[in-house]
Amino acid sequence: MSVSKEFIAIEIKDIKKHFKEVKAVDGVSLKIRKGELFSILGPNGAGKTTLVRMLTTVLTPTAGDANVYGYSILTGKKEIVKKIGVCPQVITIYEVLKAEENVEFIAIMHGMTRKEAKEKTRKILEDFGIAGRKDWSKHFSGGMQRRLNLAMSLVFEPKILFLDEPTAGLDPQARRLVWDYIRDLKNKDITIILMTHDMVEADSLSDRIAFIDQGKIIAEGTPTELKEKYGSDNALEVSFIEQEDLEIVRDNIKNIPFVVNWNESSRKERNTLLISFQGGLKNLMKLLQQGLIDNIDEVENMKFRQNSLEDVFLNLTGRRLRD
Amino acid sequence: MNLLENKVIQIANKNVKDKTRHWQYLVFSLGFAVMYTLIFYFFLGRETFQYSFPGMIIYITAASTTSAAISFAVDKTSGMLERLDTMPTGRKNLFLGALLSETLMISLQILIMFILGYAVLQVPFKGIFELFIGFFIAVLFGISSVGIGIIISAIAKTPEVANAISLFYYLPILFLSGSLWPFESVMVFFTPPYWAKQVFLQITVLGDGLFDPLYSSSLIGPTGTAQQLPISLFGGLLVIIAFTLAFIILGIIIFQKKTKF
Repeated sequence: MSVSKEFIAIEIKDIKKHFKEVKAVDGVSLKIRKGELFSILGPNGAGKTTLVRMLTTVLTPTAGDANVYGYSILTGKKEIVKKIGVCPQVITIYEVLKAEENVEFIAIMHGMTRKEAKEKTRKILEDFGIAGRKDWSKHFSGGMQRRLNLAMSLVFEPKILFLDEPTAGLDPQARRLVWDYIRDLKNKDITIILMTHDMVEADSLSDRIAFIDQGKIIAEGTPTELKEKYGSDNALEVSFIEQEDLEIVRDNIKNIPFVVNWNESSRKERNTLLISFQGGLKNLMKLLQQGLIDNIDEVENMKFRQNSLEDVFLNLTGRRLRD
Repeated sequence: MNLLENKVIQIANKNVKDKTRHWQYLVFSLGFAVMYTLIFYFFLGRETFQYSFPGMIIYITAASTTSAAISFAVDKTSGMLERLDTMPTGRKNLFLGALLSETLMISLQILIMFILGYAVLQVPFKGIFELFIGFFIAVLFGISSVGIGIIISAIAKTPEVANAISLFYYLPILFLSGSLWPFESVMVFFTPPYWAKQVFLQITVLGDGLFDPLYSSSLIGPTGTAQQLPISLFGGLLVIIAFTLAFIILGIIIFQKKTKF
């Protein structure tokens, strides 16, 4: 789909980075729209970090170019670094500085006045639940350090934020806090580039996703598009108390057009029917209504397994993302 | 703009906090000066100590090589340098901030040695003005050591290696320069500590002026057979400035080259 240039935050044009014989990034082209959350997924060594290091002007490409907010990464470093925030995967903080000293330092590096830096720092530390800590950041828990790491990349309100595994190592509560904050950022017109291994994170936060493998983009689209195009079918596993009920449901689903196939099994006194079907939750509702509720009174157990981004990657490459 | 909003000042301020909040660093940089002064005093005896003191100041100041090398190597390996590279900080400001903070720490170190040596242990000196000039020369030499530290950090893969390389550099060079013990060889003229020690010694102890002749390294001891060189103290000072500029510029160039991909 063609998008007008004014709506494009990043335009990557056939960019390559080779380290001697290794083709870390090998001809990537992408357009990332302003205000969208774009995830780059791929296994270790796929080229995600190299790609982002080029976009953040740390690495110079071997060939190709990219425009970040209209500035070429080859010639516009000075302008680009004013617009981007980078939250590295490795926690990069000054350990003997307090949280507010770390954040204020970064704010002033971005040209803020001291007063402005103090105000923004106070606000962001409150948002991240680390305000009021007066001890050095090396005494913080891993989760707090990670939140500080993120706060440091946001205090100057960048136009584009690069997030590398922002929730790695966080407990579920802290992870949820970061996710909520990222969702809030989406409403503030910040373009977010997320690199993650976490499929649930990517699925729940991303507007669009690109899968990268061996330095090339192998698929790109919204999570729904990717799952529909490359994913597996959704599956509903139902266990029945009576074998008769299983047979009734099986006969009924034969006539439902989006049902792909089914498997029956009777093991350890459990009568189970595994139904594979196409489409999303809407079809699940129809299947439940037409196949089960209209025909039988009760089931023993039911499990729904949704087509996931992990399936997409598996189907595209024949490998799991963490292989 | 408020001075505290200046990036160089902020970087220097951050570096000083980073150093002074590490008690181990404080012991190493400031305690090191005190410890060595006292050790030399007790082991060399009062008279030899007094002759050796200018060389000791240069020796202690040369330890700045290690401090600077480790400091830059830590930023390089921790990813902080890369993070700062993605901000409008500018490498120029990073280097200036580091130079400023290292200079402050070096000045503090020299000041402690001056107080301990001249005020407490009664090392003779010509006058306050001469000491002031001596202080300036020692700081200048310290800055040249920072330049070497930057070169080492550019080469070293880890802070531990940076520490090892800087020791590997500055220990032999101090002996080869004749700063601690007289060493008559053409080799001394190629070592920055010789020039710093010799100019420092002749100004603070003998009260020589800038246009008096410079002597070889044996002037350090009472029994030395020092030879007059065909160069004045001013020439010696120019050599120190040239070394300092060369090391700083070379350090920045090598560091930039080694950390650019």
